[in-house]
Order: sequence, then structure tokens, then C-alpha cells
Amino acid sequence: MERHVTERDVRRIAEYVRIALAEDEIPQMTADLNAIIEGLRPITEYDLDGVEPTFHPIGDLSNVMRADAERPSFTQAEALANAPKQQDGSFLIPRILGGDDA
Amino acid sequence: MRPLEDVLREWEAVIGLEVHCALTTLATKMFCGCKLEFGAPPNTHTCPVCLGLPGALPVPNQAAIESIVLAGLATNCDIMKRSMFYRKGYLYPDMAKGFQITQGPVAFCMNGHLDLAMEGPGAGERVDLPQARERGAYATRIGVARIHLEEDAGKMIHVGGGEGRIAGATHSLVDFNRAGTPLIELVTRPDLRTPEEARRFMQKLRQIFLALGISSCSMEEGSLRADGNVSLRRRGSDGFGVKTELKNINSFKHLHDGLAYEICRQAEVLEAGGAIRQETRHWDPHAKRTVVMRVKETADDYRMFPDPDLAPYDLTDEFIERLRAKLPELPDQKVERLQAAFGLAAYDARQLAEDAATLAFFEDGMAIAGGDARAVAKPLANLLLNDVAAAAAGDGSFDLAAGPLTPDRAVELVTLMAEGAVSSRQGKEVLAAVLAEGKDPRAIVEERGMKQVSDAAAIEVVVDAVLAANPDQVAKYRAGKTGLIGYFVGQCMKATNGQGNPQVINQILAEKLGATE
Amino acid sequence: MPFAAMGIAAIQAGLRAGEFSAREVADAALARVRETDGAVHAFLEVTGSLAHEAADRVDAAIAAGSFDELGSLAGIPIGFKDNMNLAGTHTTCASRMLESYVSPYTATCVRKTLDAGAIPIGKTNMDEFAFGSSTESSAFGVTRNPWDLDRVPGGSSGGSAAAVAAGMVPVALGSDTGGSIRQPACFCGVVGVKPTYGLVSRYGIVAFGSSLDQVGPITRTVRDAAMALNVLTGRDERDCTSQECTVDFTANLNAGVAGMRIGIVPAFLQARGLAPEVKAKVEETAAQLQALGAHVVEVALPNAQKAMSAYYVLGPCEAFSNLTRFDGVRYGYCDPGHEDLGSQYEASRAVGFGPEARRRIMLGSYLLSSGVYDRYYYPAQQVRTLVTRDYARAFQQCDCILAPVVPTAAWRFGEKSDPTSMYLADMFTVSINLAGNGGMSVPVGFGADSGLPVGVQLIVPAFRDENMLRVAAAIESAIGQRGLSPLVESKGAVSFGLRGDAR
Repeated sequence: MERHVTERDVRRIAEYVRIALAEDEIPQMTADLNAIIEGLRPITEYDLDGVEPTFHPIGDLSNVMRADAERPSFTQAEALANAPKQQDGSFLIPRILGGDDA
Repeated sequence: MRPLEDVLREWEAVIGLEVHCALTTLATKMFCGCKLEFGAPPNTHTCPVCLGLPGALPVPNQAAIESIVLAGLATNCDIMKRSMFYRKGYLYPDMAKGFQITQGPVAFCMNGHLDLAMEGPGAGERVDLPQARERGAYATRIGVARIHLEEDAGKMIHVGGGEGRIAGATHSLVDFNRAGTPLIELVTRPDLRTPEEARRFMQKLRQIFLALGISSCSMEEGSLRADGNVSLRRRGSDGFGVKTELKNINSFKHLHDGLAYEICRQAEVLEAGGAIRQETRHWDPHAKRTVVMRVKETADDYRMFPDPDLAPYDLTDEFIERLRAKLPELPDQKVERLQAAFGLAAYDARQLAEDAATLAFFEDGMAIAGGDARAVAKPLANLLLNDVAAAAAGDGSFDLAAGPLTPDRAVELVTLMAEGAVSSRQGKEVLAAVLAEGKDPRAIVEERGMKQVSDAAAIEVVVDAVLAANPDQVAKYRAGKTGLIGYFVGQCMKATNGQGNPQVINQILAEKLGATE
Repeated sequence: MPFAAMGIAAIQAGLRAGEFSAREVADAALARVRETDGAVHAFLEVTGSLAHEAADRVDAAIAAGSFDELGSLAGIPIGFKDNMNLAGTHTTCASRMLESYVSPYTATCVRKTLDAGAIPIGKTNMDEFAFGSSTESSAFGVTRNPWDLDRVPGGSSGGSAAAVAAGMVPVALGSDTGGSIRQPACFCGVVGVKPTYGLVSRYGIVAFGSSLDQVGPITRTVRDAAMALNVLTGRDERDCTSQECTVDFTANLNAGVAGMRIGIVPAFLQARGLAPEVKAKVEETAAQLQALGAHVVEVALPNAQKAMSAYYVLGPCEAFSNLTRFDGVRYGYCDPGHEDLGSQYEASRAVGFGPEARRRIMLGSYLLSSGVYDRYYYPAQQVRTLVTRDYARAFQQCDCILAPVVPTAAWRFGEKSDPTSMYLADMFTVSINLAGNGGMSVPVGFGADSGLPVGVQLIVPAFRDENMLRVAAAIESAIGQRGLSPLVESKGAVSFGLRGDAR
């Protein structure tokens, strides 16, 4: 079976999607992904020249918009009700290492 | 580092801008009905959609689509009828959904341009153009690659570090009031060649967006901000060098100075045999230099794909034409109209068109002047652009629209001057009095007895007296020291308490001094 | 009739006649849950006080003589899949990630049923974030099939299907991304409808595959499904992909199938892995429909095979994107004790998401990455075009396609642990989600070999959903009154309280 992703790729993907994988989970995840991707091989082999993609299965529906009219918002307490950590009306996060100042 | 114009003699700068403009004049956010408001208490304008709660779905604000189409029409873009929103993946705490909704390869507006009329001292940065050197003016066209619609992120406050920066912070606070603010992003082609062109482009774009009424365009509040890309190449070559990006520039001056610094810095690196790294830099206006924010080792991969939650667009001709009919007069059109209607010089017309309040005042004045409009136009423009501007300078609270100088007072004043009833020097005095006392110019002139004396017979008496009192100077003048004419005029003005018409004085002096020859 | 066997009509008739109150209906449902759900585990949360509040409103309307002004679900106990937001309840998606999340808002489809007078009994179990077809990936324990407690109820809407099959509620809502309503309905011997994409608002449903997800009812009878659809459908200004609907889904239920053209896809019946008992049921049903006056014709769906791989590309891609928002900052699991955001993110998402969710997120992220996108995602969307064209062509020849739902009857727990073998269970259902048209599962009795419930699938063109209900009603009446699940029969009637007992 073709190796679509290496363990190194899997580590990179895990980093991208921000999911910590333990060292001993990497081989299994690599094997699982390779098996699944191998199962998707047919999609790379179909002759689809000239076929337009359908991104939205909604027929001719287009230009759906709303009027620029205000609706009620959450109160601050409602907005923060599910927050694991909060401070001064804001969501609290620990320090960001290596972040951009924006 | 060498000065900019020195560097630009050997290097050509290639500059492109990405301008973000928040559509602050709308009532609500891009994809939900939360109110758009700057400065509200944190997290008081949020809902399931802009907080990215599970299950919430976006619905586009029609007024935002209309705003971007207006922006595209005003910048000569093709309005793309078929386009889609995309998801741009970005897992960061200020991005509620973990992706930003933006547009893909096809934006609402593509392939536009703006023409810049460059003049004034900054025009000299184009050392390669003879007309820039010789006349201090030239014209250039800047391509607009695209304008797309997207949503802003939330706002983070970094606590515990220096000056609110991430570095050294112990924790951060996230506020989603700003999340989902509609933004248009305009991307220029890399057609700009000097920092001054970049500044003028931004200024012109701001005027256009203000005229369209789509944004407050406040650089202080961040509703208008720019990123600048710049690279250098040797004069005569047409390749592209490695570029650096200046992020989040929030004033015209910073844009100019940051790019100028970056050009000089890059030249120094290249001339020393070094290489430019592709990186994001930040302009520090206090230190007057750029500093590295982030080195881009690999291209960002945002996993973009069409947003399945948002139906595609298929804008109708009717929709586009309805907006085209709503386009207000744009700055270029204003300039042309001011020139054609009132015979103003291009420079004066552009200056007037740059400030909405000044222009409105001028146009009110023209309406009051009626049949005399053409005659009054130039002096009124001068009054506004020079004398009023000088009076307003240094006074941050000066508000032309609310001030005691009304358009009819201004017209009265310039009419007095045009009639020769007051001299231009007296005119300045009257203006100051109008601004200080809020009275009509005629009343002030009457009150102070400031009528200009133009009567030739009366002036001749004064001239004779002055010449008689200064026989030595007259002799010197006649011996060829003609520069003394100014001295005689001054003496005559003094003798008339400043009310003598300088033109008449000049004329009679010339006659008298030449006549006895 | 015991409560557990009552449908919408029976309950509403009893309420109208004053035989019992809505409060008693609510209590009967809650009692039924207490008695049977220990074994089945269909519910993750039971909403007793919300049920009582809703029931009391119905009773007040009855007292005021305005019962008929309530909507068509007045007094009907209902269950909601736990990916549907109902303000004040937990909406966990059967994931640790959302274990403590309390909805601050209500999904449109949920709101519509409550506005129509339904009594919310609780939130039903599911595969974590709807990733699966057995409800085994729930972080909070499996749901058991009421027909055989050693077997899976199907999934991902397994809790909803099991709750209906076990007589706890006559109506439950599910969501269907690749078969997640139809397949558990089939396994549990109940009716499950995946309406045309756009017929029911998705606002407030925690998204899995946004271009594939659709909400629909699971009921014991076709008429009950039609009544629920009358409430659920229609344009929602909060969902750009939802569309107007003015159809009365009950209007044609008794119109019969005489003259209708029923399509059979020969390739489906020859598919590898299709159990003979399932094939036999489809063929029997075709013969029955023919006997009722329908014309059975053969139609081709030449790109059906391609649909499978397209679905398994698009599903993970959209899921990856939809699950990025779970970062433990605004809500959801936040792993304690981290001093920097990066490690808090990575630990929260590693602990919060189960194995299947992690796999799909990783897969979707890979498939959308630059260079890979053009090999998988883009062709998958092209395949969607081909599949849609297939259906358009087939529906020139027929009004409704008759097909299997699942290749087999319900399997035993743990029997299919390999993710790819479970994927095969979706082979007859996913193409409908790709094309966006309507499909439903209707029970047709029991497999000759397994003795377990078997259903058939009916497929119609987009926005012709009333036609599949009409065919389903004909099938249902041809088969006659079905038995309730053994669980219902063995547990017998549930008391309606004193008044009910006295009668």
C-alpha cells in the first residue's frame, strides 16, 4: 500500500490542527490515515475533465442576504456563561508564545 | 543609511498595498445582526454567530455587499457577478469559528485602477521621471488587483507585558465585539514606485471611501489600515526582488516613512552583499525604524474552500446598475467640475476637493455669488486654502462649518477685495476680525474705517509728499537702484494708514519717478 | 392503548376528548424513559421541567378551548438529537469536548416543534459529533437496539431511533449527513426521513458536513413523520441554504401508488455485501407496489460508486473546518494547568475529542492542504455534479426510487471495529446527501435470516418529498400493523396516572 503520509507528516498535521498526539499514538494514526486515504484513491483516478464542481447542493439558489437591521445581542454574562476562564468581561487565555503582535 | 532619493537613483522600489477598510457606517456586522459600535464594553455585542457557537450560521448583510460594489465601481473595477465566500482556516483565539469568511480567487471587484496626480515636494521622489524633476508634477496609474469582502477578528488585550505587546505578557483577554465587522480588503498591483505615491494612493482611496459613505475611514480607530509590501530592483531590471511586508500601518505619515525606511534598509543590505529575508516587519514611529515581527519560512496554508453555509452570488445587472446610479460625485469628478464650472486651476480644484467641509463651504459660496461666481471663485479658493487654512492651523478645535465665517461673509470679503475696496493685506485683517468677532466683513470695514483708497487724485497727493520727503532715495532710484520702489510703496502705504490701493500707488509712483527723467 | 404505542393522532385525540392531560402525557413519557432507558440508553439528558412547562401550556390551551390553535405537534413528547441546541440544556454532541456546554440559544427546528406545542423529553445519544453509524463512538456510553440489546441501534442518530422504537417518544429529531437518520431508523424498525437539503433549517444544529447535513423526523408511522415535517420545514432567515415550503405533507398520504413509476437500480441489488434478506425485502416491496398499481422500472445511477469516495472526502473536509472552533476558550473542554495557549489548545483538543473525531479532523486537514486539495476535494465536488445529474436522469423515468437502506440488519456491538468496514454501511445512503435530494427509510418487516427489522429506502427528486411519503404510506398499509419492539411489548403499558388507570 502506498504511503500517503509519513509519521512526520502526521506530526505536522497534528500541530496544524492543534491536537496533541502522544509519541505512541503516532504510528497508529499514520496507519489509519494511510488506510483511509488509500480508500479514497478512486477519486484521484476518475476522468472528470470538463465537469463543473457543485459546491452547494441548492440548485439555483443565490444572492441570499439579510437587511442591515439590528437584532438583540447576548448580554456580557450570557456571552461568557460557557467560558472556562474569564476576567473583566473578557475571555481569558494564557500567554501566547511566539505570537504576532497585531 | 543613505537618503531615499539617493537610493532611488540606483534602485527602483516596487510597492504594493493591501488596504483594509471597516464598513463602519453600517448598522450591523457582516454575518449577524449585532450592532457595530467602537468602544463598547467587552463582549456586549455578540451572538451565536459572531461568537462562533456550535450550530450558528452566517447570513450576509446586503448593505455590505452594496458597499463593496460601490467601492469597486468607484475604483474602476469589473464587478464580478458570480463569486463565493470561502473559509480561510485559522485557529487563533480572536477567530471565533476557527476560520475567517472571506472570498476566494474571484472577488466581488477585480481589475480596477486609480489615477494619481502627483505634485508638490514628494513628487521629486520619482527621480527617474523628467517631468517630476522639471515641473514637480506627474501622473501615474495604479492598478487595483481586487477588492474582496471579509469579516474582522475579535480584539485581544495582552496583559502583563510592555505596552500591551504579546512578548512578555502573562495572559490575554479576548473581546468579540469587533468580531464579524465587515471589512473590504483592496489589493493593489505592485505599481507604486515611491513612498509618496503610496501615501497619495491611500489618501485618495480614503477620500473616495468617505465620499461613498461606506466607512469612517478613521486610521486612529483602525477602520482604515494598510499593509505595504516592498522590494527593490536595480534600475533598468524588470525582475522582482524579495519583498518584506509592513503590517498594520495606521497613518499616512507612518506609511510614507515606514516604506522609505524599508527601501533604504533593503538597499543597504543589498549593497553590502546581503540578502533580503521574506518577513513581516513593524514600523516603530518613535525609534523611526522597522523591526522584524515574523519570518515567513513557508507559505501559509489556510486550507481554503468554498463556504458551504453561504449561497453563491449571481449579482444581476439591475443590482449593479441600481448602485451605479447611487454613486456620489467622486474626487476626480469634483476636480473636473470645479475647473470647468469656475475656471479654477487644477491644483486649487484638487486641494478644495480633498476636504469635504472646505468643498461644501466653497460650493455654498459659489451659489451665493450667483452670476459673479466665476469672478469670485479664485479669490474664494485662495481665501479658503491659504488664509483660512493658516488661521485654522495649530487650532485643533477649528471647525469651518460651525465657525463665524459663513459662506456669505466669505463671499462678501472676497468681493470687497475684488472691487478694490480693501487691499489683500486688509483682507487678512478683516478675516481675522470676522473669525474673532463674528461680524460681517462690511461692518468691520466700516467700523475700522478701513476703506481702501483707490482715488488717483488722492493718492497722487500722497506720492508727491513721499517723494518730496525722500530726495536722496529718489536720486538713488534714478541712478538705477530701482529696487527702491518697494521702499516708496511702503512709505505711501504708511502715509495712507495701509488704505492706499497698492496697484494705484505703484502705477503713480512709476509715472512720477519716470516722468521727471 | 398503552402510551408507548401511541402516535400523534392517538395522543391528540385523547387530549381533545379529555381522557388524559398533556401533563399526564409528559409524565407517561418520562416514566417510560425511567423504565426502559436503563437498558437502552437513548437519552443523554432528560428535560423533565421543560417537559412539564410545555405540557402545562398545552393543558392551559385545552382548558381555554384553544387546543386546535396550537400547532400540529401539540401535546406530543419529542426527543432531540444532542447536536441540537435547546436553550438551557446541555448540547454535548456526545463528546467530552462539550460535556459541560449549556446552550444559550435554540435551534430553529427545535424552536418550531416547541412553538407547535411539542413536549421536550430530552436530548438523545449519538455518535460523537455524528461521526459514525452505530452510536458506539458516543463519549457517554452506547445506545442499545430495543429489538436486541446486544446490537447497535445504528447511527449517528441512534439515540433518537432507539427512543422512538422503545416507545419513549413518538417523535424524535435526527440529523443525516450520509445516512444518519435513515440507517438507525432502518435498524430500529421505525420511519426516518432525510428531507431535501434546504427543506429544514440547519440553524442551531452543530455542523458536521455543512453541505450534507439535514434534519428530519424519526417516528413509528409515516403519518407522524408527515405531521412533523409540516412543522419543521420552511425558509429560515438564519440559514442561507434553507428554502420556502408550502407543501402539506399529509395531503397525499392516502393517494396510493397507482400509476406512479417506481425505479429500481439493478446495480444496487447486485452490490457486494448486500445481505440476501435485505435484497429479498426490496424485491418483495417492489412486487407489492406493482400489485398496488405502480409501474416498476429499472433506472441506472452510473456514478453511485463514485459517490462513496466523494462523500468520504467532503465529510472530513467540512468536519475538520467545523470543528476548528472547539478551542476551549469561549466554551468547551479546557485542559487545566497550562501556562501557554499552545499547550492548552493541544491538550484540550486531544482530550476533548474522541478517536474518530481526531481522525476525521486530521484527515480533513490533510485533504484540504495545498497541493492535496486538487487531488481530492475538487474532484469530489465534480463527482457531486455527476451524481446530481444521475438522479436528474433517473427521475425522468421514475417518480421515486426504491433501494436498500443498509446492506445488512443491525450488527452486534464491536462487530465492526475497523473504520473502513463501517464506512461500507453507508453505500446506499450517501449519494442522496451529495445530490441533496430527499430520502427516507420505511420498515418492511423482519429479515428472513436475522429476524431483525429491515427497512427500504425511498428516494425522490429535490423538493418532491411528499412523493416518498405517499409511497411509504402505501407500503406501510400493505404490510399492516407492525409489532412494537419486544422491549415495548415485554414492558407493557405505562400508566397514565390515576385517571388513566381508572379507565
